[in-house]
Amino acid sequence: MSADHPAAGPHTQGLDTMIGIVWRTRRRGILIGVLALGGSLIGTAAAVAGLYDTPSKIHTYAAAVTAGSALAAINGHVEGIDSLGGVIQDEFGFLASFLLPLLGIALVAGSTRREEESGRLETILGGRITRHQPVLAALLVAAAAILGMSVLFAAGLVVCGVPVSGAILYSAALGALAFVFAGLAALLAQLVPHTRGVYTGSLTVLAAAYVLRGVGDTTKSGLALLSPLGWAEKAAPFGDQRWWLLTIPVVAGLAAGAGAVRLAGRRDLGSAVLRGRAGPECASRFRRGPIGFAAWLHLPATAGWLAGAVLLTAMMGALSRQLLDALAGNPALTNAMGVAGDRPLDGFVAATQLYLAVIAAGFLVQAIGTLRAEEAGGRLASRLSGTLSRSRWLFAHGTVILGGLALIVAGSSLVLALSTAWSVGDTGEFGAIVSAGLDYLPAELVLAGVALALFGLWPRGLGFAWAAFAAVAFIALLGPGLNLARWVLDLSPITYVGGPPRGAVDAGSLAALAITAVALVMLGFLGFRRRDLSES
Amino acid sequence: MTDPTHVIHSQQLTKTFGKVRALDGLDLAVRPGEVHGFLGPNGAGKSTTIRILLGLIRATGGRVELFGADPWRDAASLHGRLAYVAGDVALWPGLTGGQCLDVIGATHGRVDERRRADLIERFELDPTKRIRDYSKGNRQKVALIAALAAGADLLILDEPTSGLDPLMEQAFQNCVRERRDAGVTVLLSSHLLDEVEALADRVSIIRRGRTVTTGTLADLRRNSRTSVHAVTTEEPGSLAHAAGVADYVSERLDGHVDIRFTIDAHHLDAMIGTLHAARIHTLTVAPPSLDALFLRSYGDAPEARATAATFAENTR
Repeated sequence: MSADHPAAGPHTQGLDTMIGIVWRTRRRGILIGVLALGGSLIGTAAAVAGLYDTPSKIHTYAAAVTAGSALAAINGHVEGIDSLGGVIQDEFGFLASFLLPLLGIALVAGSTRREEESGRLETILGGRITRHQPVLAALLVAAAAILGMSVLFAAGLVVCGVPVSGAILYSAALGALAFVFAGLAALLAQLVPHTRGVYTGSLTVLAAAYVLRGVGDTTKSGLALLSPLGWAEKAAPFGDQRWWLLTIPVVAGLAAGAGAVRLAGRRDLGSAVLRGRAGPECASRFRRGPIGFAAWLHLPATAGWLAGAVLLTAMMGALSRQLLDALAGNPALTNAMGVAGDRPLDGFVAATQLYLAVIAAGFLVQAIGTLRAEEAGGRLASRLSGTLSRSRWLFAHGTVILGGLALIVAGSSLVLALSTAWSVGDTGEFGAIVSAGLDYLPAELVLAGVALALFGLWPRGLGFAWAAFAAVAFIALLGPGLNLARWVLDLSPITYVGGPPRGAVDAGSLAALAITAVALVMLGFLGFRRRDLSES
Repeated sequence: MTDPTHVIHSQQLTKTFGKVRALDGLDLAVRPGEVHGFLGPNGAGKSTTIRILLGLIRATGGRVELFGADPWRDAASLHGRLAYVAGDVALWPGLTGGQCLDVIGATHGRVDERRRADLIERFELDPTKRIRDYSKGNRQKVALIAALAAGADLLILDEPTSGLDPLMEQAFQNCVRERRDAGVTVLLSSHLLDEVEALADRVSIIRRGRTVTTGTLADLRRNSRTSVHAVTTEEPGSLAHAAGVADYVSERLDGHVDIRFTIDAHHLDAMIGTLHAARIHTLTVAPPSLDALFLRSYGDAPEARATAATFAENTR
């Protein structure tokens, strides 16, 4: 491509300008993303370091998680888990698998196809910027941000007492993981016409990578090496330290990025390889009504959350036999995992239900966020300029969201019960597993209530519902492992459910949660009926 | 104050957003069956007024009635009688154009399916494409067709032709006239003077949330100046100082006299006589355009000329 341009001057100048534009328009999001991710990784590492401060504690932890392959499926098979770094890597296993790729995807998608779709790129390309430079600049800025996050994280790990070489390799492996997905997103941004497609495509690859890594780790086959998540894990920063494995993600990321830059230089602006097809000329009778329309609007996201929940519960259920076998041969381990007693499966099911509750709460906040997005996008005004009243509109959406919640919770609990029964060959736990899932409904609805109350009273503050969800997820997923103080655990509505089926459920607590949820929902309804629509 | 003589009636309407006063005593009266032009520069409060009329936001003060009822309290039932096109058309990217028409149509109640098909043809819209694949102009067409196909008594159009090409603008104007002939009332908010001039029976001009002037175009013109460009064989002697004449400029060009001036509508007759005596070669008499009305309406403010000039420029 350099043949088309006079050697140095304007060519690199355009790139400098473009990097400046990407940085100036996106720096807030980049800084928040990098600092939030780096900070929460370091904070968790520090908490782990404080909790597992003696070799014997680390050894107990290692013994607990290496039993059976169920946890290996979720967190990955960590080599050198019998060390502080290994414990940290294991604790992060699940979260890091999603957060780092998401960082890479978001960094690139936001400054490539989104800009093109909005028409802003056209304005920029009208200036002295060459067609391939925007995506190149987006990749360079993303790479710099990822590098910054890795350096920050490595420094944090060293401060926490992790050996330097392990800390550097681990951070580099996570950075390389983010970079692979940044490259993938850049490539997809050239192939599909809309930002939405970039996310859908990248997240599909991520889900496949996660399953591939999970199956590979549980079956001890080489499958994990086909997954970007496996590359990060098999670098074994706290085991054999295979530095050379980092070349795979780096080369993959560079290849995808180079492909994207090359495509961007050759294709027409606004074009895409994969185009949408024509659709129906009329809307069905069902979709014209408020409920049908709301159902259509929430369907894709609901399907995504449902797929994630079913994947998790099916996998966990299918692995329950292996867990039981591991426990049967090792009474000390049974004690260490706190699943003693005559129903060893209960602890395992309780942990899975907790994950499911987090997924369900995330669905609710996201679904109510959709309502705000409709309003902010001006589409709610179109909707309400007809005979549909505000109350009916919100009621229709509430009904559909509740239906989605019931589908996700009941459906996944059923899948968990069935797959567990199939795995252990015993249906004795069936009812207990399903009802444990339903016990979480009131707690999940409290979060929906918070989001809806914000929507009704302070729509611009809906981000706080996500903050509340992040806190709830953090407490649920890491709270027990980090031995958080009682009062911190008590901040989350999910704590009050009592952790069924292992823990006892108090009907009074559930009723209190339900009443809180109903009160918050009513507050949201009343607020929404009285306030101005706001599109800013 | 139930008022059957007006479809829309607002008096001393105010709306504040925090410290910003978006509407500051706005009066608007729209009679049944008329096309009412609602003119003002960006930020004058046109969209805010319309959003109050639709019950999307609530007025801070003053009175407002739509079909004699309260647009905030009775929003949903009143909307059965109107159709609305937003200035910044927002539709669902995942729906096709045709599906969007049906979804919007369903919230209006009565949709004339024959007119829907006819309008799709006239606006040359492909209803099988997804909204996210449409250009801005095509999205605008979807909103327009949805509103025009609805069996509504009132059309509220907020800068409806932004993004349309001149041919489509023509189609739009024809459609609006047809609707008016069928007895539909239209509130047409715009900053396109020629569009309002082509369609409106009466206009209200607003600025900074207040009504500056309102009336029929004829009314407004009667008090404004007509501009004249004449080429005559001889110099029309007394014209430069004749009653009602201003801005008089004349020069000799190729043996003719080229004259430009403006004149009060009341003195037109006498002026023509004088010109005739000087032997007219060519004559152009331009009635006051809305641009001129605008300049006059804004004439009382210090920054008026600048505002109006920018405004006129923006509309080109």
